[in-house]
Amino acid sequence: MQSNISLTISDLWIERGDRDLCKGFSLTATSGDIIHILGDNGAGKSSLFKTLFGLVSPVEGEVQLNGEDVLSYRDPLLKQSLYISHALGLKSVFTVLENIRWYFPKVSEADIARVLSLLKIEGYLDVPIKALSAGQTRRVALARLWLSDLPVWFLDEPFSALDMVSIQLLEGRIREHAEQGGIVFFTSHQPVTLLSPRRVELTA
Amino acid sequence: MTYFSYFKAECLVLFRRKQNLVNALLFFALVIVLFPLGVDPSKAFLAPAAGGIIWCAAALATVISLESMFKEDYADGSLEQLLVSGLSISWLVLLKVLVHWLGMIIPLLLLTPIFSEMLFLPDGVLGVLMTTLLLGTPGLFLIGSIGASLTVSLRQGALLMLLLILPFYFPIIIFSTSAIQAVASGLPYSGLLAIIGAISLLALVMSPLMTPICLKASVR
Ligand SMILES: Nc1ncnc2c1ncn2[C@@H]1O[C@H](COP(=O)(O)OP(=O)(O)OP(=O)(O)O)[C@@H](O)[C@H]1O
Ligand SMILES: [Mg+2]
Repeated sequence: MQSNISLTISDLWIERGDRDLCKGFSLTATSGDIIHILGDNGAGKSSLFKTLFGLVSPVEGEVQLNGEDVLSYRDPLLKQSLYISHALGLKSVFTVLENIRWYFPKVSEADIARVLSLLKIEGYLDVPIKALSAGQTRRVALARLWLSDLPVWFLDEPFSALDMVSIQLLEGRIREHAEQGGIVFFTSHQPVTLLSPRRVELTA
Repeated sequence: MTYFSYFKAECLVLFRRKQNLVNALLFFALVIVLFPLGVDPSKAFLAPAAGGIIWCAAALATVISLESMFKEDYADGSLEQLLVSGLSISWLVLLKVLVHWLGMIIPLLLLTPIFSEMLFLPDGVLGVLMTTLLLGTPGLFLIGSIGASLTVSLRQGALLMLLLILPFYFPIIIFSTSAIQAVASGLPYSGLLAIIGAISLLALVMSPLMTPICLKASVR
Protein backbone atom coordinates (compact mmCIF):
# COMPACT_ATOMS: atom_id res chain seq x y z
CA MET A 1 0.00 0.00 0.00
CA GLN A 2 1.12 3.49 -0.83
CA SER A 3 2.12 5.12 2.44
CA ASN A 4 2.20 8.82 1.69
CA ILE A 5 -1.25 9.85 0.64
CA SER A 6 -2.83 13.16 1.40
CA LEU A 7 -6.38 14.28 0.95
CA THR A 8 -7.09 17.98 1.18
CA ILE A 9 -10.55 19.47 1.30
CA SER A 10 -10.59 23.23 1.08
CA ASP A 11 -13.47 25.68 1.44
CA LEU A 12 -16.08 23.09 0.62
CA TRP A 13 -19.61 24.44 0.47
CA ILE A 14 -22.41 21.89 0.27
CA GLU A 15 -26.00 22.90 -0.12
CA ARG A 16 -28.98 20.59 -0.16
CA GLY A 17 -32.54 21.67 -0.69
CA ASP A 18 -31.68 25.35 -0.05
CA ARG A 19 -29.97 24.52 3.24
CA ASP A 20 -26.26 25.03 3.77
CA LEU A 21 -24.81 21.84 5.23
CA CYS A 22 -21.29 23.17 5.48
CA LYS A 23 -19.65 26.30 4.22
CA GLY A 24 -15.92 26.88 4.15
CA PHE A 25 -15.24 23.36 5.35
CA SER A 26 -11.54 22.54 5.21
CA LEU A 27 -9.66 19.44 6.24
CA THR A 28 -6.34 17.82 5.51
CA ALA A 29 -5.72 14.14 6.08
CA THR A 30 -2.47 12.32 5.52
CA SER A 31 -1.39 8.70 5.83
CA GLY A 32 -2.10 7.31 9.26
CA ASP A 33 -4.97 9.67 10.04
CA ILE A 34 -8.24 8.49 11.51
CA ILE A 35 -10.92 11.13 11.29
CA HIS A 36 -14.21 10.98 13.13
CA ILE A 37 -16.80 13.22 11.49
CA LEU A 38 -19.34 14.40 14.04
CA GLY A 39 -22.64 16.19 13.69
CA ASP A 40 -26.31 15.96 14.55
CA ASN A 41 -28.73 13.95 12.45
CA GLY A 42 -29.06 15.79 9.19
CA ALA A 43 -25.88 17.80 9.71
CA GLY A 44 -24.55 16.57 6.39
CA LYS A 45 -22.03 13.84 7.23
CA SER A 46 -23.34 11.42 4.63
CA SER A 47 -23.70 14.29 2.17
CA LEU A 48 -20.03 15.16 2.70
CA PHE A 49 -18.99 11.64 1.69
CA LYS A 50 -21.35 11.68 -1.25
CA THR A 51 -19.90 14.99 -2.39
CA LEU A 52 -16.39 13.58 -2.38
CA PHE A 53 -17.58 10.70 -4.55
CA GLY A 54 -19.44 12.93 -6.95
CA LEU A 55 -22.92 11.76 -6.01
CA VAL A 56 -23.78 15.25 -4.74
CA SER A 57 -22.33 18.37 -6.38
CA PRO A 58 -20.87 21.03 -4.10
CA VAL A 59 -21.56 24.71 -4.64
CA GLU A 60 -17.87 25.46 -4.45
CA GLY A 61 -14.67 24.16 -2.97
CA GLU A 62 -11.71 22.00 -3.84
CA VAL A 63 -10.70 18.46 -3.07
CA GLN A 64 -7.21 17.27 -3.80
CA LEU A 65 -5.69 13.84 -3.57
CA ASN A 66 -1.91 14.03 -3.47
CA GLY A 67 -2.14 17.55 -4.83
CA GLU A 68 -4.30 16.52 -7.76
CA ASP A 69 -7.77 18.01 -8.15
CA VAL A 70 -10.32 15.20 -7.85
CA LEU A 71 -13.57 17.16 -7.99
CA SER A 72 -13.53 17.58 -11.76
CA TYR A 73 -11.81 14.30 -12.57
CA ARG A 74 -12.66 11.74 -9.88
CA ASP A 75 -10.96 8.60 -11.11
CA PRO A 76 -7.83 8.90 -8.91
CA LEU A 77 -9.99 9.18 -5.79
CA LEU A 78 -12.38 6.40 -6.81
CA LYS A 79 -9.51 4.04 -7.57
CA GLN A 80 -7.96 4.66 -4.13
CA SER A 81 -11.01 4.62 -1.91
CA LEU A 82 -13.48 2.30 -0.38
CA TYR A 83 -16.87 3.68 0.55
CA ILE A 84 -19.43 1.92 2.70
CA SER A 85 -22.58 3.98 2.97
CA HIS A 86 -25.83 3.60 4.90
CA ALA A 87 -27.06 1.42 2.04
CA LEU A 88 -24.62 -1.43 2.18
CA GLY A 89 -24.56 -2.41 -1.47
CA LEU A 90 -25.26 -6.09 -0.87
CA LYS A 91 -27.60 -7.93 -3.21
CA SER A 92 -30.46 -9.54 -1.35
CA VAL A 93 -30.82 -12.35 -3.92
CA PHE A 94 -27.19 -13.37 -3.38
CA THR A 95 -25.73 -15.50 -0.67
CA VAL A 96 -22.99 -14.17 1.59
CA LEU A 97 -20.28 -15.83 -0.49
CA GLU A 98 -21.74 -14.62 -3.80
CA ASN A 99 -21.84 -11.07 -2.51
CA ILE A 100 -18.20 -11.20 -1.48
CA ARG A 101 -17.17 -12.91 -4.70
CA TRP A 102 -18.87 -10.17 -6.67
CA TYR A 103 -16.70 -7.52 -5.00
CA PHE A 104 -13.53 -9.61 -4.82
CA PRO A 105 -13.39 -12.09 -7.70
CA LYS A 106 -9.66 -12.61 -7.28
CA VAL A 107 -9.37 -13.19 -3.53
CA SER A 108 -8.72 -16.82 -2.58
CA GLU A 109 -11.28 -19.04 -0.85
CA ALA A 110 -8.94 -19.36 2.11
CA ASP A 111 -8.73 -15.60 2.65
CA ILE A 112 -12.50 -15.23 2.46
CA ALA A 113 -12.95 -18.10 4.92
CA ARG A 114 -10.42 -16.54 7.31
CA VAL A 115 -12.14 -13.13 7.26
CA LEU A 116 -15.62 -14.58 7.59
CA SER A 117 -14.62 -16.67 10.59
CA LEU A 118 -12.99 -13.60 12.14
CA LEU A 119 -16.33 -11.83 11.74
CA LYS A 120 -18.23 -14.89 13.03
CA ILE A 121 -20.26 -15.40 9.87
CA GLU A 122 -18.40 -18.47 8.64
CA GLY A 123 -21.51 -20.58 9.18
CA TYR A 124 -23.60 -18.44 6.83
CA LEU A 125 -21.59 -18.74 3.62
CA ASP A 126 -24.47 -20.09 1.57
CA VAL A 127 -27.27 -18.26 3.32
CA PRO A 128 -29.05 -15.53 1.32
CA ILE A 129 -28.33 -12.03 2.60
CA LYS A 130 -32.01 -11.42 3.28
CA ALA A 131 -31.98 -14.25 5.83
CA LEU A 132 -29.36 -12.54 8.03
CA SER A 133 -29.88 -10.21 10.99
CA ALA A 134 -29.08 -6.50 10.68
CA GLY A 135 -25.75 -6.84 12.44
CA GLN A 136 -24.78 -9.92 10.48
CA THR A 137 -25.59 -8.12 7.22
CA ARG A 138 -23.40 -5.21 8.25
CA ARG A 139 -20.57 -7.60 9.08
CA VAL A 140 -20.76 -9.05 5.59
CA ALA A 141 -20.46 -5.53 4.18
CA LEU A 142 -17.57 -4.77 6.54
CA ALA A 143 -15.73 -7.90 5.42
CA ARG A 144 -14.59 -5.70 2.53
CA LEU A 145 -12.31 -3.86 4.96
CA TRP A 146 -10.29 -7.04 5.51
CA LEU A 147 -10.24 -8.10 1.87
CA SER A 148 -9.54 -4.85 0.05
CA ASP A 149 -6.19 -3.12 -0.32
CA LEU A 150 -7.51 0.38 -1.01
CA PRO A 151 -5.82 3.02 1.16
CA VAL A 152 -8.57 5.58 1.81
CA TRP A 153 -11.71 4.48 3.64
CA PHE A 154 -14.98 6.32 4.02
CA LEU A 155 -17.23 4.53 6.48
CA ASP A 156 -20.69 5.96 7.09
CA GLU A 157 -21.93 4.77 10.50
CA PRO A 158 -19.94 1.53 10.40
CA PHE A 159 -20.69 0.71 14.02
CA SER A 160 -24.47 0.82 13.85
CA ALA A 161 -26.19 -2.50 14.57
CA LEU A 162 -22.92 -4.15 15.64
CA ASP A 163 -22.45 -5.92 18.98
CA MET A 164 -19.65 -5.01 21.41
CA VAL A 165 -17.24 -7.66 20.17
CA SER A 166 -17.67 -6.65 16.55
CA ILE A 167 -17.26 -2.97 17.38
CA GLN A 168 -13.90 -3.71 19.02
CA LEU A 169 -12.88 -5.88 16.10
CA LEU A 170 -13.74 -3.09 13.67
CA GLU A 171 -11.95 -0.46 15.73
CA GLY A 172 -8.92 -2.72 15.78
CA ARG A 173 -9.05 -3.05 12.01
CA ILE A 174 -9.35 0.71 11.55
CA ARG A 175 -6.30 1.27 13.77
CA GLU A 176 -4.32 -1.40 11.95
CA HIS A 177 -5.17 0.19 8.61
CA ALA A 178 -4.03 3.61 9.78
CA GLU A 179 -0.79 2.13 11.13
CA GLN A 180 -0.17 0.63 7.70
CA GLY A 181 -0.41 4.09 6.16
CA GLY A 182 -4.07 4.30 5.24
CA ILE A 183 -6.55 7.06 5.92
CA VAL A 184 -9.92 6.38 7.55
CA PHE A 185 -12.87 8.74 7.65
CA PHE A 186 -15.81 7.52 9.65
CA THR A 187 -19.01 8.88 11.14
CA SER A 188 -20.48 7.58 14.32
CA HIS A 189 -22.91 8.81 16.93
CA GLN A 190 -21.42 6.55 19.61
CA PRO A 191 -18.00 7.45 21.02
CA VAL A 192 -15.22 5.04 20.06
CA THR A 193 -13.26 3.35 22.82
CA LEU A 194 -10.08 1.86 21.38
CA LEU A 195 -9.27 4.59 18.88
CA SER A 196 -8.24 8.16 19.48
CA PRO A 197 -9.36 9.74 16.21
CA ARG A 198 -9.19 13.36 15.19
CA ARG A 199 -12.66 14.74 15.74
CA VAL A 200 -14.13 17.03 13.14
CA GLU A 201 -17.45 18.65 13.86
CA LEU A 202 -19.72 19.48 10.95
CA THR A 203 -21.75 22.62 11.54
CA ALA A 204 -23.54 24.86 9.12
CA MET B 1 -15.06 -5.50 -8.55
CA THR B 2 -14.12 -6.17 -12.16
CA TYR B 3 -16.12 -6.01 -15.38
CA PHE B 4 -16.19 -9.78 -15.52
CA SER B 5 -17.35 -10.24 -11.92
CA TYR B 6 -20.05 -7.66 -12.58
CA PHE B 7 -21.15 -9.52 -15.69
CA LYS B 8 -21.33 -12.79 -13.76
CA ALA B 9 -23.26 -11.11 -10.95
CA GLU B 10 -25.75 -9.65 -13.43
CA CYS B 11 -26.32 -13.06 -15.00
CA LEU B 12 -26.89 -14.55 -11.57
CA VAL B 13 -29.34 -11.78 -10.64
CA LEU B 14 -31.24 -12.37 -13.87
CA PHE B 15 -31.40 -16.06 -13.08
CA ARG B 16 -32.53 -15.53 -9.48
CA ARG B 17 -35.11 -12.97 -10.60
CA LYS B 18 -36.26 -15.05 -13.58
CA GLN B 19 -39.88 -14.39 -12.63
CA ASN B 20 -39.52 -10.86 -14.10
CA LEU B 21 -38.44 -12.31 -17.40
CA VAL B 22 -41.10 -14.99 -17.34
CA ASN B 23 -43.74 -12.31 -16.70
CA ALA B 24 -42.55 -10.28 -19.67
CA LEU B 25 -42.61 -13.34 -21.94
CA LEU B 26 -46.04 -14.30 -20.65
CA PHE B 27 -47.21 -10.81 -21.49
CA PHE B 28 -45.71 -11.20 -24.97
CA ALA B 29 -47.63 -14.45 -25.44
CA LEU B 30 -50.88 -13.01 -24.09
CA VAL B 31 -50.86 -9.98 -26.38
CA ILE B 32 -50.34 -12.24 -29.37
CA VAL B 33 -53.03 -14.69 -28.33
CA LEU B 34 -55.56 -11.90 -27.72
CA PHE B 35 -55.42 -10.62 -31.30
CA PRO B 36 -57.02 -13.64 -33.01
CA LEU B 37 -59.47 -13.96 -30.10
CA GLY B 38 -60.42 -10.31 -29.89
CA VAL B 39 -60.27 -9.10 -33.48
CA ASP B 40 -60.55 -11.77 -36.11
CA PRO B 41 -59.17 -15.31 -36.23
CA SER B 42 -59.34 -15.58 -40.03
CA LYS B 43 -56.21 -16.04 -42.10
CA ALA B 44 -57.18 -13.09 -44.30
CA PHE B 45 -56.82 -10.71 -41.36
CA LEU B 46 -53.97 -12.33 -39.48
CA ALA B 47 -51.52 -13.12 -42.27
CA PRO B 48 -50.73 -9.51 -43.23
CA ALA B 49 -50.87 -8.32 -39.60
CA ALA B 50 -48.76 -11.10 -38.06
CA GLY B 51 -45.40 -9.34 -38.25
CA GLY B 52 -46.77 -6.15 -36.75
CA ILE B 53 -48.53 -7.99 -33.93
CA ILE B 54 -45.39 -9.86 -32.97
CA TRP B 55 -43.32 -6.70 -33.10
CA CYS B 56 -45.69 -4.67 -30.94
CA ALA B 57 -45.91 -7.47 -28.40
CA ALA B 58 -42.11 -7.70 -28.33
CA ALA B 59 -41.75 -3.96 -27.80
CA LEU B 60 -44.25 -3.92 -24.93
CA ALA B 61 -42.65 -6.96 -23.33
CA THR B 62 -39.30 -5.19 -23.55
CA VAL B 63 -40.64 -2.17 -21.70
CA ILE B 64 -42.07 -4.43 -19.01
CA SER B 65 -38.83 -6.32 -18.52
CA LEU B 66 -36.72 -3.14 -18.47
CA GLU B 67 -38.83 -1.13 -16.07
CA SER B 68 -37.21 -2.73 -13.02
CA MET B 69 -33.74 -2.87 -14.57
CA PHE B 70 -32.02 -0.56 -12.06
CA LYS B 71 -34.68 -0.56 -9.32
CA GLU B 72 -33.14 -3.17 -7.05
CA ASP B 73 -29.60 -1.86 -7.52
CA TYR B 74 -30.88 1.55 -6.57
CA ALA B 75 -32.66 0.33 -3.44
CA ASP B 76 -29.89 -1.85 -2.02
CA GLY B 77 -27.08 0.63 -2.63
CA SER B 78 -25.23 -1.43 -5.20
CA LEU B 79 -25.87 1.25 -7.82
CA GLU B 80 -24.04 3.67 -5.56
CA GLN B 81 -21.20 1.18 -5.25
CA LEU B 82 -21.03 0.85 -9.04
CA LEU B 83 -20.77 4.62 -9.39
CA VAL B 84 -17.89 4.80 -6.91
CA SER B 85 -16.17 1.61 -8.06
CA GLY B 86 -13.81 3.44 -10.39
CA LEU B 87 -14.97 1.23 -13.28
CA SER B 88 -16.47 2.95 -16.30
CA ILE B 89 -20.18 3.15 -15.65
CA SER B 90 -20.83 3.21 -19.41
CA TRP B 91 -19.33 -0.24 -19.80
CA LEU B 92 -21.22 -1.51 -16.77
CA VAL B 93 -24.47 -0.24 -18.29
CA LEU B 94 -23.65 -1.93 -21.60
CA LEU B 95 -22.94 -5.20 -19.80
CA LYS B 96 -26.22 -4.97 -17.96
CA VAL B 97 -28.13 -4.26 -21.17
CA LEU B 98 -26.33 -7.16 -22.85
CA VAL B 99 -27.38 -9.57 -20.10
CA HIS B 100 -30.99 -8.39 -20.16
CA TRP B 101 -31.09 -8.48 -23.95
CA LEU B 102 -29.69 -12.00 -24.13
CA GLY B 103 -32.15 -13.15 -21.47
CA MET B 104 -35.03 -11.82 -23.55
CA ILE B 105 -33.99 -12.38 -27.17
CA ILE B 106 -33.20 -16.08 -26.83
CA PRO B 107 -36.67 -17.14 -25.61
CA LEU B 108 -38.22 -14.58 -27.97
CA LEU B 109 -36.50 -16.12 -31.00
CA LEU B 110 -37.56 -19.57 -29.82
CA LEU B 111 -41.19 -18.52 -29.38
CA THR B 112 -41.51 -16.48 -32.58
CA PRO B 113 -41.72 -19.45 -35.03
CA ILE B 114 -44.51 -20.96 -32.94
CA PHE B 115 -46.51 -17.74 -32.80
CA SER B 116 -45.94 -16.89 -36.44
CA GLU B 117 -47.39 -20.30 -37.30
CA MET B 118 -50.40 -19.45 -35.15
CA LEU B 119 -50.85 -16.04 -36.83
CA PHE B 120 -50.51 -17.48 -40.37
CA LEU B 121 -47.34 -15.50 -41.11
CA PRO B 122 -46.77 -15.95 -44.88
CA ASP B 123 -44.15 -18.48 -45.92
CA GLY B 124 -40.65 -17.13 -46.30
CA VAL B 125 -41.24 -14.13 -44.06
CA LEU B 126 -40.20 -15.78 -40.81
CA GLY B 127 -36.50 -15.35 -41.60
CA VAL B 128 -36.87 -11.61 -42.10
CA LEU B 129 -39.02 -11.29 -38.99
CA MET B 130 -36.32 -13.01 -36.92
CA THR B 131 -33.66 -10.79 -38.51
CA THR B 132 -35.58 -7.60 -37.70
CA LEU B 133 -36.01 -8.80 -34.12
CA LEU B 134 -32.30 -9.55 -33.88
CA LEU B 135 -31.35 -6.17 -35.34
CA GLY B 136 -34.04 -4.06 -33.71
CA THR B 137 -34.32 -5.32 -30.15
CA PRO B 138 -30.81 -4.15 -29.17
CA GLY B 139 -32.07 -0.67 -29.98
CA LEU B 140 -35.18 -1.21 -27.86
CA PHE B 141 -33.09 -2.34 -24.90
CA LEU B 142 -30.49 0.42 -25.21
CA ILE B 143 -33.15 3.13 -25.47
CA GLY B 144 -35.10 1.45 -22.67
CA SER B 145 -32.10 1.62 -20.36
CA ILE B 146 -32.12 5.41 -20.67
CA GLY B 147 -35.78 5.49 -19.66
CA ALA B 148 -35.23 3.03 -16.82
CA SER B 149 -32.35 5.08 -15.44
CA LEU B 150 -34.37 8.30 -15.62
CA THR B 151 -37.25 6.85 -13.62
CA VAL B 152 -35.27 4.65 -11.24
CA SER B 153 -35.90 6.82 -8.19
CA LEU B 154 -39.63 7.16 -8.80
CA ARG B 155 -42.00 4.77 -7.13
CA GLN B 156 -44.60 4.88 -9.90
CA GLY B 157 -42.20 5.34 -12.76
CA ALA B 158 -43.49 2.63 -15.11
CA LEU B 159 -45.99 4.71 -17.01
CA LEU B 160 -43.68 7.69 -17.22
CA MET B 161 -40.97 5.49 -18.62
CA LEU B 162 -43.37 4.11 -21.20
CA LEU B 163 -44.33 7.64 -22.28
CA LEU B 164 -40.70 8.72 -22.42
CA ILE B 165 -39.28 5.92 -24.51
CA LEU B 166 -42.19 4.74 -26.68
CA PRO B 167 -41.79 7.60 -29.20
CA PHE B 168 -38.22 6.43 -29.75
CA TYR B 169 -39.47 2.90 -30.35
CA PHE B 170 -41.72 4.01 -33.22
CA PRO B 171 -39.03 4.17 -35.94
CA ILE B 172 -37.74 0.70 -35.07
CA ILE B 173 -41.25 -0.77 -35.09
CA ILE B 174 -42.24 1.05 -38.30
CA PHE B 175 -39.14 0.03 -40.25
CA SER B 176 -39.34 -3.56 -38.98
CA THR B 177 -42.96 -4.01 -39.99
CA SER B 178 -42.27 -2.31 -43.33
CA ALA B 179 -39.45 -4.76 -43.95
CA ILE B 180 -41.80 -7.64 -43.20
CA GLN B 181 -44.49 -6.23 -45.50
CA ALA B 182 -41.90 -5.61 -48.21
CA VAL B 183 -40.68 -9.18 -48.19
CA ALA B 184 -44.27 -10.48 -48.13
CA SER B 185 -45.05 -8.51 -51.28
CA GLY B 186 -41.78 -9.41 -52.95
CA LEU B 187 -40.14 -5.97 -52.71
CA PRO B 188 -36.49 -5.36 -51.76
CA TYR B 189 -36.08 -5.00 -48.01
CA SER B 190 -32.34 -4.95 -47.32
CA GLY B 191 -32.31 -1.15 -47.12
CA LEU B 192 -34.91 -1.28 -44.35
CA LEU B 193 -32.83 -3.81 -42.44
CA ALA B 194 -29.85 -1.47 -42.77
CA ILE B 195 -31.89 1.38 -41.30
CA ILE B 196 -32.97 -0.77 -38.35
CA GLY B 197 -29.35 -1.72 -37.76
CA ALA B 198 -28.34 1.93 -37.98
CA ILE B 199 -30.91 2.93 -35.37
CA SER B 200 -29.62 0.23 -33.04
CA LEU B 201 -26.06 1.44 -33.61
CA LEU B 202 -27.10 4.99 -32.82
CA ALA B 203 -28.68 3.71 -29.62
CA LEU B 204 -25.46 1.85 -28.87
CA VAL B 205 -23.66 5.17 -28.94
CA MET B 206 -26.28 7.23 -27.12
CA SER B 207 -27.24 4.86 -24.33
CA PRO B 208 -23.78 4.58 -22.69
CA LEU B 209 -23.58 8.37 -22.76
CA MET B 210 -27.04 9.16 -21.44
CA THR B 211 -27.71 6.34 -18.98
CA PRO B 212 -24.76 7.15 -16.66
CA ILE B 213 -25.82 10.80 -16.53
CA CYS B 214 -29.38 9.81 -15.56
CA LEU B 215 -28.12 7.30 -12.99
CA LYS B 216 -25.85 9.89 -11.38
CA ALA B 217 -28.75 12.31 -11.23
CA SER B 218 -30.91 9.69 -9.49
CA VAL B 219 -28.41 8.52 -6.85
CA ARG B 220 -27.96 11.32 -4.34
N1 LIG C 1 -31.58 12.62 -1.31
C1 LIG C 1 -31.72 13.80 -0.70
N2 LIG C 1 -32.32 14.83 -1.34
C2 LIG C 1 -32.46 16.02 -0.77
N3 LIG C 1 -32.02 16.33 0.48
C3 LIG C 1 -31.42 15.35 1.17
C4 LIG C 1 -31.22 14.04 0.61
N4 LIG C 1 -30.60 13.27 1.54
C5 LIG C 1 -30.41 14.07 2.59
N5 LIG C 1 -30.90 15.33 2.39
C6 LIG C 1 -30.85 16.44 3.33
O1 LIG C 1 -29.51 16.78 3.56
C7 LIG C 1 -29.29 17.02 4.93
C8 LIG C 1 -28.10 16.21 5.40
O2 LIG C 1 -28.36 14.83 5.30
P1 LIG C 1 -27.26 13.74 5.60
O3 LIG C 1 -27.82 12.44 5.23
O4 LIG C 1 -26.00 14.18 4.97
O5 LIG C 1 -27.13 13.88 7.17
P2 LIG C 1 -26.22 13.05 8.18
O6 LIG C 1 -25.33 14.03 8.85
O7 LIG C 1 -25.59 11.93 7.50
O8 LIG C 1 -27.30 12.55 9.21
P3 LIG C 1 -27.40 11.16 10.02
O9 LIG C 1 -26.63 11.34 11.26
O10 LIG C 1 -28.85 11.05 10.32
O11 LIG C 1 -26.90 10.07 9.14
C9 LIG C 1 -30.58 16.69 5.66
O12 LIG C 1 -31.16 17.91 6.05
C10 LIG C 1 -31.45 16.02 4.65
O13 LIG C 1 -32.77 16.47 4.76
MG1 LIG D 1 -25.80 9.89 7.53
